[in-house]
Amino acid sequence: MRVELDNLTKSWDEVIGADSITLDIADGELVAFLGPSGCGKTTTLLMVAGIYKPTAGTISFDGQVVNEVAPKDRGIGMVFQSYALYPHMTVFGNISYPLRLQKLNKGVIKERVQTVADMMGIGDLLERKIAQLSGGQQQRVALGRALVKEPQLLLFDEPLSNLDARLRLTMRGEIKRLQEDLGITSIYVTHDQVEAMTMADRIAVMSKGVLQAYDVPEALYDRPKTLFVAAFVGNPPMNFFDVEVMRVNGDLRAKSDAIDLVIPHDRGEKAAAVDGKVIMGVRPEDVDVVDDASPAAEGLTLAGEAVVVEPLGREDLVGISINGVDLRVLVDKTRGVRVGDTITLVFNTSRAQFFDPETEASLLWA
Amino acid sequence: MTQQIEEEADALARAAVGAPGPQRRPLGRRVRSTASAYGFMAPAVALVLVFFVASGLLLLILSFTDLSSANFSRAWNFIGLDNYERLFTDPFFPKIARNTVFYVVTTLIVFNLGLALVLALVTTSIPRRAGFFFRLVWLLPRLTPSVVYILMWQRIGAGDPFGIYNQIVPEFLGASGGNLIFGGSPWAFVILTNGFNGASFGMIIFTSALESIPKDLLTAAKVDGAGTWRIIRDIKIPMIKWPLLFIATYQTLSLLTSFEYILLLTEGGPGLFTTEVWALTSYKRAFATYFGNSQWGYGATWAIVLVTIALLLAVAYVKLFRFNELIEEPRIENL
Amino acid sequence: MTTVETAPPRPAAGPIPRSRQKMGRYFAYGFLILSIIPILVGYAWLIIATVSARTQGLLPKNAEGGIGGFTLSNWDFVFESAIWNAMLNSLLIAVFMVIGVGLASTSGGYALSRMKFAGRKTFLTGTLVLHAFKAEMLLIAIFFVLRFLGDIPIIGGFIGFNTVGGVALVMVALELPLGIWLMKGFFDNLSWDMERAALIDGASRFRVWWQIMVPQVRPGIAALSLFTFIVGWNAYLVPFTFTIGTKVANMPVFLNQLISDTAPVNWNLVAAVGLFQMIPLIIFFIFTQELLLNIYAGGSKGT
Repeated sequence: MRVELDNLTKSWDEVIGADSITLDIADGELVAFLGPSGCGKTTTLLMVAGIYKPTAGTISFDGQVVNEVAPKDRGIGMVFQSYALYPHMTVFGNISYPLRLQKLNKGVIKERVQTVADMMGIGDLLERKIAQLSGGQQQRVALGRALVKEPQLLLFDEPLSNLDARLRLTMRGEIKRLQEDLGITSIYVTHDQVEAMTMADRIAVMSKGVLQAYDVPEALYDRPKTLFVAAFVGNPPMNFFDVEVMRVNGDLRAKSDAIDLVIPHDRGEKAAAVDGKVIMGVRPEDVDVVDDASPAAEGLTLAGEAVVVEPLGREDLVGISINGVDLRVLVDKTRGVRVGDTITLVFNTSRAQFFDPETEASLLWA
Repeated sequence: MTQQIEEEADALARAAVGAPGPQRRPLGRRVRSTASAYGFMAPAVALVLVFFVASGLLLLILSFTDLSSANFSRAWNFIGLDNYERLFTDPFFPKIARNTVFYVVTTLIVFNLGLALVLALVTTSIPRRAGFFFRLVWLLPRLTPSVVYILMWQRIGAGDPFGIYNQIVPEFLGASGGNLIFGGSPWAFVILTNGFNGASFGMIIFTSALESIPKDLLTAAKVDGAGTWRIIRDIKIPMIKWPLLFIATYQTLSLLTSFEYILLLTEGGPGLFTTEVWALTSYKRAFATYFGNSQWGYGATWAIVLVTIALLLAVAYVKLFRFNELIEEPRIENL
Repeated sequence: MTTVETAPPRPAAGPIPRSRQKMGRYFAYGFLILSIIPILVGYAWLIIATVSARTQGLLPKNAEGGIGGFTLSNWDFVFESAIWNAMLNSLLIAVFMVIGVGLASTSGGYALSRMKFAGRKTFLTGTLVLHAFKAEMLLIAIFFVLRFLGDIPIIGGFIGFNTVGGVALVMVALELPLGIWLMKGFFDNLSWDMERAALIDGASRFRVWWQIMVPQVRPGIAALSLFTFIVGWNAYLVPFTFTIGTKVANMPVFLNQLISDTAPVNWNLVAAVGLFQMIPLIIFFIFTQELLLNIYAGGSKGT
């Protein structure tokens, strides 16, 4: 099913939950709504579900405006963070509830519930009470309940955030696989950008009720259109510096009291046109730690002091201070960086990002 | 973490107390979605309409008549404001008004708020089971039929040789040998009987509020060096502010309009209007028969004036304490 | 969060000295024990009086004035039909109330807690006020309302003035604000996601209420039923005002008639009748303590 949101707005008096959200979701696509708590992603989802009614704008399913259609008539299934299972019913009771409401034949209900339960790997738990299940099992029941009515659209509201880290990883893969197999159009709300990056075909990044960007994950990562997207997508997050980009002997240089780096022309032209400071962004993996500055890296090398070392297992996340400017880089464990060490850094400025400090818009992609 | 989603919607919804958006939907739909809510409300609304709204209006109408058991078979005779004039010129009106204020304020402050708070604080600071036991005993008056409850107090206050107080308390503490209710201090007994019942309501509500204060908060205060008294003053009382305001409002109105125990204990006596409160006067004028007949019209006048005072007080309390802010908006919107 | 004024930390880690803590505890127990003496004394008298010929203070006395005089003759009334008639009336009022208040508050409380409709806020605030109001002030007008209801053909004979049904109906109305307030509190605590899920699953609002929400508030319904039963069983003022004679008298009215109609009053008989009508309450008191003390738990979170 194709879903289109057109200028979708939700406000309560002065409080704006969602502000003119416009986006479209293709049939069979999994779209993530990504943003911090309070950004309006759940509000938007609940409008799609028919729980909240929009203040303005429209929601269309396959070209049909559904603003006034009751939740039960929208052909949707929804999975909640709290699972929202009915505690006084068994697993069978929960999964079969949507079918019982459709007054289907008992035999048909039993068959369909069994099929879905087997698909979810809980086929042998049907007689259990909800309280007797683990968190992961409960989430499977919730998923089964959403799937059993064969919805046209699946809505996920942070479904994995109540699970422990390991289970979350497993369920992530399972949900993605199921969604692809069944080909159901899905909206997946999350504040976890790793979840969004790994699962979604496209990601809608939201902040304070406004849609910041809507694109495929790689594009958001490589070509962030706003400062917010650049900062929110990617873990560990992008480093930012206040610099002035200027021409020196035909080269572009990003300069501040602490920094002086050569910038490729295709990256820095627009930033150089800005009168005054801009914000430069460099991802932690785009900074290499080397033993000695090589002549080839002329104009790309800076030295700094390690102030924090956080072991992540395979790598160390090292906090470095360059004359009072802080950044974080990923360093191979074998280097054995210690706090206090002086470190030589080579910047891959061909991947640097630039943003206007006023509008926070990208000086490359906007 | 578990509440993240809820919080999001919550914060928005809470800030959104009030008007729905500007958007207009087809009239039929709006009527239908509201209709289902009214369907749920129907039994309650019907009862409230008959027994509160209609009765209130009828009471107002009655207050302009001279309806009594002597003439009620005839058409109602409207006598304008005569009943009101009679009320405010009644020689005992000032006494009854003073009695009412004294009774409400004393019982409210000493028992229904004060003792209730002390009981809640003390029973939550001793081991759980012990606290539970004492609260349970305090609940007994509330469970006891009023007739039996007052009967017990009458035996406690009775004169020699039957009175329990006279028997077990030494003479210098007021055991005169006579009847303590009618001969000694009727007000003490009126306030005690009501207070021993009234305190338990606040006690239960305060207790559950106190028990829901996060333990970390109390631990933090202790670590910061706060003593028992400061913890009560700086943490516990502020944390149960809403229940305190609620009980204050609730009990003021409740004391103002209730009279069952006084009716059973002293009937407003001994002597002339000694412990008579407003609500009791209204009841006695309308239903008690020692003035020859039941003066429904005149009784209604007493009631209407008191109802008006109570409603004004209620409105003042609701505005002053801003109870409206506690009303949350539903987080499902009817389509 | 509340701000905590911080006194300078005590130098030595020791919190409150042991001895002072102990003293505080003695003080707490002393206060609590003193406070419940009148209640305990009242009940002690009630129990002693029911099994003795006469009492002076708390002491049972025999005919010679010495301690003794144990007798069960006070309980002879259980062989008379009048008490059973009164008990039946009490039971009818109580059961009618449990059903009436239960239904009206479980549906009304749900709508007020979870649904949006014009007048919701007014009704909520109104409930708070009416709930405190006791409505005993309206008895005069209700007297006329009941007489009017009594004139309605057929059903009038059951709900008019001087009928048990009429008394019960008035009692239901008077307890309703409390019931709605309590049930609203219980519904307030339920998960919104669960209700949303049910709506998406295809349930109507009525089905959501009946199949999903009501089962979740069963403890609340139990607490409300218990409380309403007690109020109905103990009802005095309304039945006293709206009934005449012994046929429709419930137990408290019957007991009060016993006190006012006989002179001199046989206090020991009165005590026995009083204790007799408390039997169901004593059973509740013993077996439903948690429920009794948590009765307002749902509604205690404000309006």
